[in-house]
Amino acid sequence: MVSESCGNPSVESEAIMTRRPKHDKSKICIKCKVNTGAIVIRHAVYCKECFPALLNSKIRRILEPHINAKPELSRKKSLKASGNLLVAFSGGLGSTVLLDLISRIYLSPWTEEEVEGNLKGGKDHPRNQPVWKSVSICYVEIASGFPGMTDKTMKIQQILREKYKTLEFISLRLEDAFDMSWWDKVGGKAALDANADLTNDELFISSTLTTPTLNPVERLRSYISALPTHTAIENAIHTLIRVLLLYTARSTQSSHLLLGTSLTSLSIRLISSISQGGGFSVWEEAYEEWKPDSTTAIRVIRPLQEVTTKECSMWAWWNGLLVVGQEKYPRAKEGIYALTKDFIIGLERDYPSTVSTIARTCSKLAPKVEAVGLCIFCERPLQPGVQLWKSRISLRETGQPTTASRSSDSSPVLQSLTPYLCYSCHTMLTSRNSKGVSGNPASPSLPLPVWASIHPRGLSDDVGRSGMQPDLNGNEELWLRRKIDPDEMKVVIGDFLLE
Amino acid sequence: MSTISLQIEFGGGLELLFSNQKRHTLTLPSEVPFDNNTKTQLDALSAVKTKSADLEYLMFHLRDHLLRDRPELFMEAGTVRPGILVLINNTDWELEGEGEYVLQDNDEIVFISTLHGG
Repeated sequence: MVSESCGNPSVESEAIMTRRPKHDKSKICIKCKVNTGAIVIRHAVYCKECFPALLNSKIRRILEPHINAKPELSRKKSLKASGNLLVAFSGGLGSTVLLDLISRIYLSPWTEEEVEGNLKGGKDHPRNQPVWKSVSICYVEIASGFPGMTDKTMKIQQILREKYKTLEFISLRLEDAFDMSWWDKVGGKAALDANADLTNDELFISSTLTTPTLNPVERLRSYISALPTHTAIENAIHTLIRVLLLYTARSTQSSHLLLGTSLTSLSIRLISSISQGGGFSVWEEAYEEWKPDSTTAIRVIRPLQEVTTKECSMWAWWNGLLVVGQEKYPRAKEGIYALTKDFIIGLERDYPSTVSTIARTCSKLAPKVEAVGLCIFCERPLQPGVQLWKSRISLRETGQPTTASRSSDSSPVLQSLTPYLCYSCHTMLTSRNSKGVSGNPASPSLPLPVWASIHPRGLSDDVGRSGMQPDLNGNEELWLRRKIDPDEMKVVIGDFLLE
Repeated sequence: MSTISLQIEFGGGLELLFSNQKRHTLTLPSEVPFDNNTKTQLDALSAVKTKSADLEYLMFHLRDHLLRDRPELFMEAGTVRPGILVLINNTDWELEGEGEYVLQDNDEIVFISTLHGG
């Protein structure tokens, strides 16, 4: 009997999607047609000897069209990047495999066997001349944000320096996102520590000049505890890491930033992001060109995006790669990302083609309208009319400031962060609190990362409510003009007074 | 009753569930209860339906006798949890019939967790 509708599997047995039959075809490698296969990848069988070439071709197919400054359609042109290379390393499976493969394909000198066997692949093979002037590995440690979490920086540094002796290792910490000294080091424009008021959807900003200053770790922990949901915590940490990497790539004059996102991870991230309102930047999940100003253009590429987690795992196992792993922070399992991950990994085991279908379908999507700038939080394209759309589809609080933050002659003039946030970031910060955390619920104040303390000039109070978009210009700095009282003025200039 | 000697290895962090030990050597009877009951005594096997020791039985045996913590991280719905790869003599278990693969003496079985992130 055939079910005519999507029935309830618990009462209708025919409503259950039948699992595909186990692999029962030939065990011979589909590529060489000689050896017995050792791995099944989406119903195709490969032997251990043909497997490396498979991964090699997948990575080069994704990466090489984006290496030269101008996209090269001809395969005869040699590869030459305009800047350096930064490879992000998280300690996880994907980035471990990525680093190993990039090193083998682009950075390793030819072995004697390869030279004698005339395997140098012609004068334009990437290993015959360096594609990038220098290559660095960047690791971001998140342990400071969660008391009790193990700091793996030293362990990872030791492992990477031993295996990749010629590559520079750059160690970052998540709290660098709240550290003005790091911001100065990477060439960030002058900014003030600022907080956003999460009790109001306008997310009014205040500077922290008159409040006790917190160190970067304290600001990071305050940031995490102020986020309203566990989903927001995962999303926010992911964003912080990504933007830290972007600015580090800029400071190292890198033209390319490589991330170790596998096909499986990409599919998880796409579904999770879309469910949180990130549909406008679906394209950027696979590939993006970050242009924060007229002089910077960094290509963010995920060379493993056609390689499943299973393939990464087999590569790591067969080559004896040490995978340090990533520690999960508390209650991460309760967020949308973790739930999506469980679902996708289960799907991949029984229906392996589904995962690639997700990524392929998303790659065909494009937004209908053009971006009006970059989101100040995540540095991804900012879609127009976010607040107008939200005002039409949801019940919201009014834009009136809370009593504690109402402007007066001596208190800071309020600026709203909302007009400069993409839909996804605004939703992340304004979701209704589901954590049930203790603490002061009256006015949760969210410390802003250093790059989000910069806003364009000319902000008007009407912009956020009316749904108008501010006139964004990536080159403009933020300077907040306001009248301050004599005591506050003395705090700021006290060191320069001759008394 | 003949027995089968097996080399078991855990990777990808899965060893943490098995006393943090990556390699184990096991001996299993060649005939085991059909219902994968790992508590049945050898002399009681003649009273129950049996089958040749297969990978499915091995998983239950590992869960019941070697696993120290969190069985739900190893097995789910009668098989390994999604995200765990199984190799039989360095070959994907999908090519060998998965849980129905009949174990041979001196087989090397590897369980690798892929849940490491990107």
